[in-house]
Amino acid sequence: MADQLPFEGLKVADFSWVAVGPITSKYLGDHGATVVRVETEGRPDILRVAGPFKDGVPGPNRSHFYGDFNSSKLGLSLDLKNPAGLDIACRLIEWADVYFESFTPGTMDALGMGYEKARSLNPSIVMVSTCLMGQTGSVSHFAGYGFHAGAIAGYYDITGWPDLPPDGPWTAYTDVVSPRFISSLVMAALDHRRRTGQGQYIDAGQMEMGLQFLAPQIIDYNASGRLVTRNGNRSETAAPQGAYPCAGDDQWCAIAVDTEQQWEDLRRAMGDPAWAGHDRYKDVAGRLANHDEIDGHIGRWTEAKAAQDVMELLQSHGVPAGVVQRSSDLLRDPQLAHRNLYHYMDHPEMGNIPYTGHQFNIRGYDSSPRTPAPILGQHNGYVLKEILGMTEEDMIDAVIAGAIA
Amino acid sequence: MLSPYTVLDLTDHRGELTAMMLGDMGADVIKVEPPKGSPSRRLAPFLEDAPKPEQSLNFFSYNRNKRGITLDLQAEPGRRALLTLVEKADFVIESAEPGEMASLGLGFDELRKRNPRLVYVAITAYGQDGPYSGFAANDLTLAAMGGPMSLQGDPNRPPVRITVPQVWLQTSAEAAVGAMTAHALMVRTGEAQFVDVSAQTAMVWTMLHGMAAHAIQGFDINRGGSNLQLGTVIMPLVFECADGYVVFGLYAAAIGTLVHWLVEDGIVPEEWIEGEDWLAYGRCLLQGMPVTYPLEETVQATRRYVRRYSKRELMERGLREGFTIAPVSTTADLTRFRQLEERGFWLQAPLPDGREIPAPGLFARLTETPMDVRRWAPTLGQHNADILGEKLGLSDGEIAAATGIIGT
Repeated sequence: MADQLPFEGLKVADFSWVAVGPITSKYLGDHGATVVRVETEGRPDILRVAGPFKDGVPGPNRSHFYGDFNSSKLGLSLDLKNPAGLDIACRLIEWADVYFESFTPGTMDALGMGYEKARSLNPSIVMVSTCLMGQTGSVSHFAGYGFHAGAIAGYYDITGWPDLPPDGPWTAYTDVVSPRFISSLVMAALDHRRRTGQGQYIDAGQMEMGLQFLAPQIIDYNASGRLVTRNGNRSETAAPQGAYPCAGDDQWCAIAVDTEQQWEDLRRAMGDPAWAGHDRYKDVAGRLANHDEIDGHIGRWTEAKAAQDVMELLQSHGVPAGVVQRSSDLLRDPQLAHRNLYHYMDHPEMGNIPYTGHQFNIRGYDSSPRTPAPILGQHNGYVLKEILGMTEEDMIDAVIAGAIA
Repeated sequence: MLSPYTVLDLTDHRGELTAMMLGDMGADVIKVEPPKGSPSRRLAPFLEDAPKPEQSLNFFSYNRNKRGITLDLQAEPGRRALLTLVEKADFVIESAEPGEMASLGLGFDELRKRNPRLVYVAITAYGQDGPYSGFAANDLTLAAMGGPMSLQGDPNRPPVRITVPQVWLQTSAEAAVGAMTAHALMVRTGEAQFVDVSAQTAMVWTMLHGMAAHAIQGFDINRGGSNLQLGTVIMPLVFECADGYVVFGLYAAAIGTLVHWLVEDGIVPEEWIEGEDWLAYGRCLLQGMPVTYPLEETVQATRRYVRRYSKRELMERGLREGFTIAPVSTTADLTRFRQLEERGFWLQAPLPDGREIPAPGLFARLTETPMDVRRWAPTLGQHNADILGEKLGLSDGEIAAATGIIGT
């Protein structure tokens, strides 16, 4: 059983770029599918020019923003605006079970690679188009960076402090929501195809996926007119909650009391200080009303202690607490190591570097990323010859025609 | 798509979305709640601010496309009924503490004996085992331990989470991927599968390029608040407008367009248009090359302009002229956003109080197997008679025992 991969034999033509599409195809690739990631040399994936770069040195094959989300894929460079390049793209679509794209709506139709064409080449193909706003509607061409998406989808307004302009969530929030929905959909669509032979087209609008995580608040607004907004780290129903300063530079431990029992446990963990016994802190309402005061007390208790020590002490008393971890902390986190999250592999230009594995483990099955991300055009020969069955002559013709660029 | 399959949803707010996604995609989902109801029925927001089991909008939001039964798993009749249901199920989703299901005799090893092709998905904070698997956890501590908090918030204040709890939603959406991946493996091997989903790890992935950054570049990324740090340049992203805030970056083609607007409104003199190679402006700032108009001056002029217009006016003009300006949407703005209306995103949801209001709809459009909402969230024990009586053939007395209405 351990040597069988869930999607072994599945064929994926990935014409998408940036985050959502490639993250989704990484799932399929790491879990066994053959994924051909198509890029154009003249216009490579913008993640290749976004950091972090290995040792801080920029280069198209040195970005791990690109690298981490393109493990277990074959790299093919193709000029889709060249007729010979388009011809190869169509052959890939004929070969594939799944076809991803994430350009501005209408782009693939204009290139001659839209769903109607794809279906005529390959009637049972599962094609996914994903963009921020979806394929239809008068704002469908709204496109931008992650911060644009996070703002318009409602996540800026609810991240930060009530007395300051919104800070927004880290980077492209809808990009870290959408792949979970699209991957589930594609796997379900493939299961349907296995049983019925029927393929289909999936229009996945990233904003509509993002809004699933705000459903109670949207329904509440429609039902009662109540508007949620950013409130630091505080809860409306439990206290105290916050990130508290610890020893060292910019070190924090998050502490979040959910229940009366946990408040008692927190008091005990802190050595039952006199301030905490005050009447005005004895119930949630009182603690919420005097939250700033409590934060001051807790902060004075944590500030000389290491964040890890605060967490471990509080956990030993059953109080929810967690260090605010950065990448350096995660890379040596014993729990993540226990789960074998980071897999080190040798990349031709970047050397031995960690590739992030998956968020679920399936017992008895090693779901590690299998190969490092391709350098631009790394598998051109392999894909054309072994996958598409092109002869040496055909390949030379394609190169001369400018298809491989 | 998933209509041949049955899902048993034993979760609370930590996994209800998982089963709902499978239900939206066509699976027959049976929500199994303890006699007093899922703990998520006690989560705000509440309709009319009434903290009652049928008034939780959290429960209402993440339990559509499910039928609901109650079972007392602390007692033998309830456990027996569950085991019978497991025999005919394809997926079991649970979010109990590690070891809790096994201690009831309902762990994976027991259930697979009843159903050798079962996909069993277990959702926990840190995973089933390992040094932190026993840690107490919630939304805030997991946003910290998974990393995204370290990247969020004003650098002069503590790091922040997203105010609306996201951790269990991220995790449960990921668990649906785990369920479908394990299902594919089960189809291939014919063997039952156990999926161990970790919320901490799901949060790590929300850092995107931040998650392995230190191993690549040798240093961590720090939070920048509402600014974008580009090398040594601090670029503001958030601008106050007439009715809130908008978000955009002052570089590339965008700023060339914007300068025309500033001139048009008399905020800067006309010579600004020719006085700078605006397409190269961002690059010059990044590389420390001289510019005619320092960033600070450009930002001030932009702020003066933006304050005159509404979010909607700014976005619409940007859309017409190829310059992306995103409104900082409030929940209210989302409900009025024309794109979502035009796409028919909103569904009319019957609230427990009898009113119908628009609710977020399905998460994608499919040509051959469109998703639909076949039913909204069940009331507590709504389908006890249908499922325990008609499907399992239990008598009224047996149902009462299994659902914990009477002791045994």
